[in-house]
Formats: sequence, C-alpha cells, structure tokens
Amino acid sequence: MADAFVIETSGLRKHYGPGGQIEALRGLDLHVPPGSIHGFLGRNGAGKTTAIKVLLGMARPTSGEARVFGLPAHVQDASVEIRRRTGFVSDDNDLYDYMTVAEMIRFTSPFFPRWRRDLEERYLRKFELPLDRKVKALSRGMRTKLALLLALCRGAELLILDEPTSGLDPAMTEEVLQALVAHVAGEEMTVFFSSHQIAEVEQIADRVTIIDRGRAVVTGALDDLKESFRRVQLVFEGDAPDATFRTPGVARVRRKGRVLSVLSSAGAEALVDEARRLNPLSVDVAPVTLKEIFLETVTVEE
Amino acid sequence: MLFRTNPSSGVPIYLQLMEQVKHGIETGALRPGEQLPGIRPLAEELVINPNTVAKAYRELEHEGVIELRHGAGAFVSAAVRGKKGTDNLRAGQSIVAAAVEKLRGRGVTDEEIRRLFEAELAGLRTTGGHGG
Amino acid sequence: MLWYKSWLETRWRFVIGLVLLMFSAASTVFTYPEVIKLISGMPNPDLSGALGRRVSETLALARDYRGYVWSQWFRQNLIQMWGIFAVLLGTGGLVSQASGGGAIFTLSLPASRNRLLGVRAATGLVEILVLAIVPPLLVPVFSTAIGESYAVSDALVHGACMFIAGTVFFSLAFLLSTVFSDVWRPALIVFCVAVAVGLSDLVLRDLPLVSVVRLMSGEAYFRTGTLPWPGLAASVVVSSALLYAASRNIARRDF
Repeated sequence: MADAFVIETSGLRKHYGPGGQIEALRGLDLHVPPGSIHGFLGRNGAGKTTAIKVLLGMARPTSGEARVFGLPAHVQDASVEIRRRTGFVSDDNDLYDYMTVAEMIRFTSPFFPRWRRDLEERYLRKFELPLDRKVKALSRGMRTKLALLLALCRGAELLILDEPTSGLDPAMTEEVLQALVAHVAGEEMTVFFSSHQIAEVEQIADRVTIIDRGRAVVTGALDDLKESFRRVQLVFEGDAPDATFRTPGVARVRRKGRVLSVLSSAGAEALVDEARRLNPLSVDVAPVTLKEIFLETVTVEE
Repeated sequence: MLFRTNPSSGVPIYLQLMEQVKHGIETGALRPGEQLPGIRPLAEELVINPNTVAKAYRELEHEGVIELRHGAGAFVSAAVRGKKGTDNLRAGQSIVAAAVEKLRGRGVTDEEIRRLFEAELAGLRTTGGHGG
Repeated sequence: MLWYKSWLETRWRFVIGLVLLMFSAASTVFTYPEVIKLISGMPNPDLSGALGRRVSETLALARDYRGYVWSQWFRQNLIQMWGIFAVLLGTGGLVSQASGGGAIFTLSLPASRNRLLGVRAATGLVEILVLAIVPPLLVPVFSTAIGESYAVSDALVHGACMFIAGTVFFSLAFLLSTVFSDVWRPALIVFCVAVAVGLSDLVLRDLPLVSVVRLMSGEAYFRTGTLPWPGLAASVVVSSALLYAASRNIARRDF
C-alpha cells in the first residue's frame, strides 16, 4: 500500500464546449506518492483547476483515467468516498456568505467522522478567526484561513489546494505556508497544491509537476530536478552554430550571436562531451532554478 | 545556531542545510554531542518541507556527521571533529607524547603517569568548583 | 446540516409567503360581511364572454359562504399567490450558486449530488406544503369570528389539491434552475407558463382539458364532492418526471 499513489492520472483528457473545442486537458499523467508535498505548477489556463475538479468529481473526464486513493474519480459513490478523505481549498474561497464562521464549522464538521476538535481549537486561536462574523464580512486573507481550517480539521489524508495563496500579501502567504508545513509535519498526509507562484512551490514542495497546455511537461522530485537540470553555455569564436544535440534530455537550445545556451534535463556531462566537438571557446555549466526550468519548459508563444 | 535557507537558489534546500551543519561544526557553533533542532520544529521555523529536513539529516547521518537517536533526536557525532578540533587533537597528541617521554625518563611508572593526568584533570574541575 | 443550509437559503421566501397567505386568508374571511352587504341587493347580471361568465358565476357563488370562499379565494387569490411562492421556492440551488454561492465548496463535501438535490427538493416541497395547508386552515378558525362556519375537511382538501397539482410549477422551476445559471430566468419562464395556463383555462372552459388550475382549486370537489383523482395522479407523475430530469441534469453537469 505504501507504493500506491495517492493521486494517479493517465492520459487524462477534458474537453469543454459544444464541439469539444476547448481542450483543457490533453493527456495529463500525474503520479503523487503518499507523504509528499506535491506542487502543481502551470500558467493561468494551463489546466490546473480543471485537473483538480476532475479529481474531486466536480467535472467528468472526456477520456483517460483519474484515481484518488486508488478509487475512480468519475464514479459518484467512489467520489463521495474520496471527498470524505480529502480536504479542499479552492482558489476563490467560495464559502457561504450568509453563514458565520461558527456556522460554517458547525455545518462542515458533521460530514467528517474524523473531525479533529483539537485542531479546530488550535487553528481558531492561531488564525484569530472571529466566530460570530459572517463570511461576507471577512477579508480575503481571513476567508483563506477559514477555508484552510475547514480543510485541515477533517482528519483527511490528502489536501488539495488550488492556488491557496493567490491574492494574499507576503506576510499572510508565509502564515498559510507555515500552517501547511506545521500540519504536514504533525500528521500523516499528502498535499497537492497548484500554484503559479514558483517561490512558494520551491519553498515547501518536495515533488513538482509542471503542466503546460493540458499536459505534464516536467515531473519529479524537486531536489532531483535541481540536480539534473543544468544550463550549458557555449561561447564561440564566430557565430554560434545551429547545432542539434543527440544527447537525450536536451530541453531547449537558444542561439544568440556567439553564444549557444542549452538547457539539459539529464545532467551536463554527456552534453558537454558532445558540445566539445563543436570546438567552443568556453564551456560553462551552471545550476538552474525552478523558475528557469518553468519558463523554459512552458511554451511562450502559441 | 541559526539556519537559513534560500529556496530560490539553484542548490537544493537539503544540501544547503547539510552545508550549514558542517560549517557549524567547523566553526564550533555546533559541538560534538550537541543536539540539533528536531525535524518538525526546524521545518516549521524555516517554513520548508519536513521531508527536506529529514533528507538532510539522513544524508548527514550517512556521512557520519550526525547521529539519529531513535526517539531522542539528532545529535552531532561525538566522533566528529571540526577542522580546528582535528588540528588541536594532533597538537595535543604530540604534547602528551612529549610529556610521557619526559616522565618516563624521570622513572615515573605508567600507572603513576595515568594517575597524575587524572588528578590534574580532576583538580582542574575541583578548582573551578571551589573558585565558583 | 444540509437541511439547515436549505432552510437558511429559503427561509425569507417561506416566511414572507406564509405571512402573506395567512393575511390573505384573514382578509378573505373578514371582508365577507361587507361583500354580502354589497351584493345582496344586486340581481344576477347576464354577462357574456368568458370573463363575463366568470364574473357572473362568481357573483352567484358569493351569495353562499362556502361558494364565496371557493370562488374568491381557492379558485383565485390563493392559487395565484401560492403559485408565485411555489415557483420562487423552486429556484436556487447549485447551478445558480456556481459563482459566488459556494457551490464549489458544497461539491467538495462528501455528499452525492443526488443527496444535495434531494435535500433541496424536499425542503422546498415541505415548505410549499406548509404554505398550502396552514393558511386554508385559518379559514375555519376565522370564520367563527364572523358567525359563519367552514368545514376543516374542505380547507384541507382544497389545500391538498392545490399542493399536489401546483407542485408541477415548483418542479418546473426546480428543473429550470438546473439549466440556467441565474435565479430569475427560471422564475420568469414558469410565471409565463402559469399565466398562459391560467388564461387558457379561463378561455377554453368548454374543452375537456385537464386543467392544472381546476385541479389546484379543487373544482371537482367543490362542485361534486369527489376528488379529481386522475388529474391529481397525472400531476404527481408530471412533477416526478420533472424532478427526475433535474437530477439527471445535475448528475451530468460539469462545475
């Protein structure tokens, strides 16, 4: 059971629109192992929210498979069971405006037999949520914290967060991340959160999947990615040659004047060997930040 | 000992932590046998993934730099010497060798030499206590 | 807690409806002495045309208390007002709450869509049932104050007929609320349908159509004392079909 993935999708497709013209997901493969904090990075409109909605049974896939806890996400009964064991925070924190904080908690807790009263008290204090204030009177940050409380107190094994820190100032962002990290450290759980904030993914995720135009383009342990992605810079005497490299793992080649810049996802050694045959003046190998990996693997032009 | 990590550098966070622990040992900020912060409190304080801290500690244990005692936490290895420590030990070794040479030259037995050293060390402590 | 949420979302519509309908019951009863004074001297007019026939019939019926209550209230004011609230209470729900009403939060809870829909439908049905039964029950109560008597059984039967037949409008609004993402379009469409049905009943009196309006007012019972069972059964079937279609809509929908 330890080897089973908490979230697993294969060839997941989702088309919207009358003729199915909007292809939100085009064969997404995801594998989220238990106990990890998995960052789901992508540009706006890349398909992050759609993928999450499929996992939670809010949208049905056009084709392909999606499983959570090994259960099929598109089957109604299985989906109810999935949601019993999952905490979710949506990107717009859409709660019931007319209810107070206390009412929201009283409304939500009966759905979860494993509701944690101790965590409820702790987070009420920590987040300083006023019990009798209506949701519509809460600031954006407070609403995020309330949504987080409602998700964290369920006794869930999986937490799915859709852009949890969007619209929050840096101090509040740090509070939210801190609460997440503290929670994960104390409980056995998996976190799957989507974001387009690279910094926060780098800070707390140990695994990353980058999604672009409905497909996963990079996936793996963050540390492994940082160790295997390298930028090799070659400077030439004259104009840089228009070279193609046969070494596997070459993600992007840029040519500018006398410089050839190659992004490799499989380390630098083999690439450098191949590159030397081009007789460059100098060969420079540098590590790559997640931001660079993201920007390079996500298409800029259509 | 204060830890600081930079998530956005090209260096994985766990490597940064390992470096900082090793550096702390070298500079004496961390002493042999001293306890390191727990995985969970450190992760909470730095707001990083607890798995990352765990990984750093595991690697450090693998390299023999620290010991993970089940239920008690992470401790700097007693066997570990900082660079200065190693130098001191080597210097100390030659001083002791010279002293033992000299004492034997005067006819003091090995048993007496040992008692002299122990008394001297014990005496230092006692003196400290009395002076305090 | 889903029931409590449904209640919170519908309580004002329900309470206002209840107050208005109870007020309507009271005013119908307490204006009877005035009405009797006005018409006792009038002969029966001989009016022609659909509306004219209706007016002269109402006048004739009003001379008798039971006839007055039926022709003034059960056939007209009550079913019109109740109908409005039945439609209003059928609107709402997940589709209209999809942006800004917390639908995504609701859907993230471990409750099946059938259950979510079922609770909303059941809450609405209970509320319109109360609205259909309680105000009519006030009529026997208030009648004694003006020296008349009205059978509790009559009140119950008329209320029940109105509820069973009129649930069709509730169900239609409910179905349309699973199609449109705004709250007012389902209501508007059903109001138009109701007006059309009401007018056609008025104009096409002679055609043996099973009119929803006649079922709601319990006309067969009033005139003959027997309940219009086939019509009521057909209403139940239609309402069930509409609610089932609503559940299919919600089951298939992507949010």
